[in-house]
Amino acid sequence: MVSKEEIEHVAKLMRIEIDDHVVHIDRIQKMIAYFDILDKANVESEELIVREQTIDALREDKYIPYDGKLIENLKNYKGSYIRAPKLI
Amino acid sequence: MTKIGLEIHCQLTNLQSKLFCSCKANYREFSPNANICPICVGLPGSLPMLNQKAVEKATMISMALNCKIPEKIAFFRKNYFYPDLPKNFQITQFDAYGPTSIGHDGKITIEGKEIRIRRIQIEEDPGRLIYEGMSEKTQITLVDYNRAGTPLVEIVTEPDFDNPKQVRVFLNILVDLLENLGVSDPTLEGALRADGNVSVEGGNKIEIKNVTSFHDLEKAIHFEITRQQSLVERNIPIISETRQWDDRRKITVSARKKEEEQDYRYFLEGDIPWVKLNSDHFKKLKEKMPESIASKRERYVEKYGITTQVADVLSSDKYYADLFEQSHDEKNAKEIANIITTDLMGFVDTREKRETSKLTHQHLTELANSIMDNKITRNSAKTALQEMVSTGKSLIEIISELDLDNVSNESTISSIIDEVLNEEANAVQEVKEKPETVNFFVGKVMKKSKGKADPSMTLNILKKKLGIT
Amino acid sequence: MSLGISALKYIEEIKNGNLTAEEFISKTIERIQKVDTKLHAYLSINEQAVEQARSIDKKIKAMENVGACMGMPISIKDNICVKGTKTTCASKMLEDFISPYDATAVLKLKAEDTIIIGKTNLDEFAMGFTTEFSAYGPSKNPWNTEYVPGGSSGGSAAAVSALECIASLGSDTGGSVRNPASFCSAVGLKPTYGLISRYGLISYSNSIEQIGPITRTVEDTAFLLNIIAGIDPHDNTTINNQNENYLNDIDSGVEGKKIGIIKEMTHEGVDKQVSAATNKAISNFEGLGATFEEISLDMVEYSVAAYYTITATEAGSNLARYDNLRYGYDFDSEGYEFNSYLSKARKNFGPEVTRRMILGGFVASAGHAGKYFLKAMKVKSKLTAQVNEALKKVDMLISPTVPILPFRFGEKIDDPVALFLVDINTVTANLTEKPAISIPFEISGGLPIGIQLLGKSMQDKMLLQAAYALQNTVKLPEVPI
Repeated sequence: MVSKEEIEHVAKLMRIEIDDHVVHIDRIQKMIAYFDILDKANVESEELIVREQTIDALREDKYIPYDGKLIENLKNYKGSYIRAPKLI
Repeated sequence: MTKIGLEIHCQLTNLQSKLFCSCKANYREFSPNANICPICVGLPGSLPMLNQKAVEKATMISMALNCKIPEKIAFFRKNYFYPDLPKNFQITQFDAYGPTSIGHDGKITIEGKEIRIRRIQIEEDPGRLIYEGMSEKTQITLVDYNRAGTPLVEIVTEPDFDNPKQVRVFLNILVDLLENLGVSDPTLEGALRADGNVSVEGGNKIEIKNVTSFHDLEKAIHFEITRQQSLVERNIPIISETRQWDDRRKITVSARKKEEEQDYRYFLEGDIPWVKLNSDHFKKLKEKMPESIASKRERYVEKYGITTQVADVLSSDKYYADLFEQSHDEKNAKEIANIITTDLMGFVDTREKRETSKLTHQHLTELANSIMDNKITRNSAKTALQEMVSTGKSLIEIISELDLDNVSNESTISSIIDEVLNEEANAVQEVKEKPETVNFFVGKVMKKSKGKADPSMTLNILKKKLGIT
Repeated sequence: MSLGISALKYIEEIKNGNLTAEEFISKTIERIQKVDTKLHAYLSINEQAVEQARSIDKKIKAMENVGACMGMPISIKDNICVKGTKTTCASKMLEDFISPYDATAVLKLKAEDTIIIGKTNLDEFAMGFTTEFSAYGPSKNPWNTEYVPGGSSGGSAAAVSALECIASLGSDTGGSVRNPASFCSAVGLKPTYGLISRYGLISYSNSIEQIGPITRTVEDTAFLLNIIAGIDPHDNTTINNQNENYLNDIDSGVEGKKIGIIKEMTHEGVDKQVSAATNKAISNFEGLGATFEEISLDMVEYSVAAYYTITATEAGSNLARYDNLRYGYDFDSEGYEFNSYLSKARKNFGPEVTRRMILGGFVASAGHAGKYFLKAMKVKSKLTAQVNEALKKVDMLISPTVPILPFRFGEKIDDPVALFLVDINTVTANLTEKPAISIPFEISGGLPIGIQLLGKSMQDKMLLQAAYALQNTVKLPEVPI
């Protein structure tokens, strides 16, 4: 069973504050416990199938200016910056 | 034993567009947040479009550093939160399922020392942070995403350096190499950044970050070695940590400890299918790849008899090498090489000067040939060269405008010599005893003729008149 | 003039002059005003719809070139970007987000003179199967409003089934188009991964999700697929479908086709009415010349766990960008420190999304990735191999779309694992990147049951042909609302 502390540590990592510990933690523990079923799947030696593309299919290196002033559609500061709270 | 390793970030500034979108790769000319689009700002629903040339250039860098390159490469997400990261993850490369980055296990030899390249990877640059206001209370972080998504190649070395000087030599060679490959312009601010890691005998590895120039990196490494050695002497354990270079105080300081260790939860970037690099691709790239600096140097020395010092300077600077390649032929190669590495260098030693220079390779060809045909003296040639750089006028125009014609009229030179011998009657006696001082007179003749007198003719006539051999 | 006509019928009527776009749009808006307070299928309506219809009518009258859709009303799930409209993903985190660009699929529809009639409700960020996790309230099932419409594209399915639009675009990550289609008696297709561009679909689990059309007839789905499918330079994961025409030969039938019955999806845990319906569908197919055999896919047992592990990991990363700094909702960062602002701002996520993100952080974290995430990826690979093997023996696979009948609100929401298992029949198609379609088959005790077909990669056409054949063996009642 995954510990409450571990879940809180992960929540912090994900920048999520959980107030209703009882509800959340209980459910999350149940979900993680369910995932233990994966151990029975016997897939240790399985090769991962991956998606591929050729280098020719990639985008041509060309400068195309964006049509419009995107910053005006965002939460901007003095019309040109995004403002972030200070980092300590 | 001191061990130093480097992590170099090279922006592919010579690309037209960013790594995953068509905004401009070189963001420097834009006002804040004027070089952005839904992709590089990470708007909901946006998807990355990988830049083909970026993969090519990165492959070339790997090849130039003798790295192993896998058959297919993958991209990963490095997840963390920071104001300059619009998606709060960076698309980068990582070796989770075997080697999937663009280069591994390469090497480069500098001054006889082999430096191993551990890994080369392609990744995107984050945005830039600006701090408004000086006081702690009013400090606001302003974010400019113009740089977000700029293509980067990260080069990680093994800790093979023994001392800071080796680091400096390596970085200089690397800068020349990258410039020669045509992937990056090292004179652009921020195009090349490097972090280092240092460990001394008996201590753990310390990472040094936030170094803004290569010059400072050398200083920072020096400082770290000294600091660590003194800790070892006093039996104080050196814990593994990250330190920042404080440019003002010229010391490294411990970077503030984060509350918890960074866990980047690396996993495959599902929006970018693995890119297959086949042998056709390598063949084409090898053909496209510019000749290496070492190869050029060898060719200059062997084919044209250019001295190694001159060949060194010529080959390692792309601007000079390009001029040389376009202007020379079998006969005037050595002359042009000399013109470039002695006279021209003084006129185009900065980026701005090179940008405003009007000198073309035709100018150089004309100039060299004229010198060799004795149409103009070396002295005058230097003046002409400067004129070409600033005005771009042809040699003929310049010679006529500035009256630089080679004076090779015997009688003209003769009369000038007579004048000089008259004026310097005392020296005349001396030269009869010490024939080598004849150059004193040559110099005077050159001065009187404003450098136009043909030097060898002058010398011959002088010797005759003075009765020396 | 019934609002329940198909897209193809609509086009016919417009071309014949029996109908104008303005008439149909106005009637549709009236219908929405009448039923949507009860159904809550829509989160926002296009105020310019009638005006847009008028311009299309003008073009038609002037014999100008008009797009293939001729002004038909199509709704779009609110996790797909439509330029200039609020695109909230049914979340408070994106309360004020107005998309500055159109998703590729939307652009393609607009280019054919579709009228985007409104944005439909969903489970927040597409995580859920009932729309009970929408931050703006759930949608109701038009067949019985005490029952869930399915999810996460519940609003889309409800709108289509309640005649509030001709068709809708939803998104399917683990069944989110097929499940609500089944619960609301509509047709829902999750195409082969890569067939429809995801550019503009707000990512939840980008390596397995797809946009999918929800319609009232199979032909309509084929018609829409012709418009929105195809390679897109904006989405590197799209595949070239060689401009395939999905509507041509849709009636070619299933004579000689071999269909596999997925053992793990048709035996245990299936409601008996659903089981009976599935058997009926099988015999209908046999009557049309198809043959059946049982296929076992033992990896199905692990598919749900693998699905949730992978999607939680990707969701945790895809939703990291929502820090409310560039867009989002009104919450000033003045006076806050960066990390604490982020944690506070992100409290605006609903509880299910919050849990999934924490889950995602956990299963991919340094100490646990090997046990959970990597294993889940391997299950995905092995399941894919098994399905590929099966599809060498048969042309497609069959199962009920959802093993149980639609259920009431509040019934499943408290037991996370029970909720997971509603998806057990649908996640296989997502994990294996194969096309799958839900065909409305029966109304049992007033509640819809859908049958699912799963096909070979890029053989979406064959799937549509089989679906069409099955559709024509039944005549379903009209929606009661």
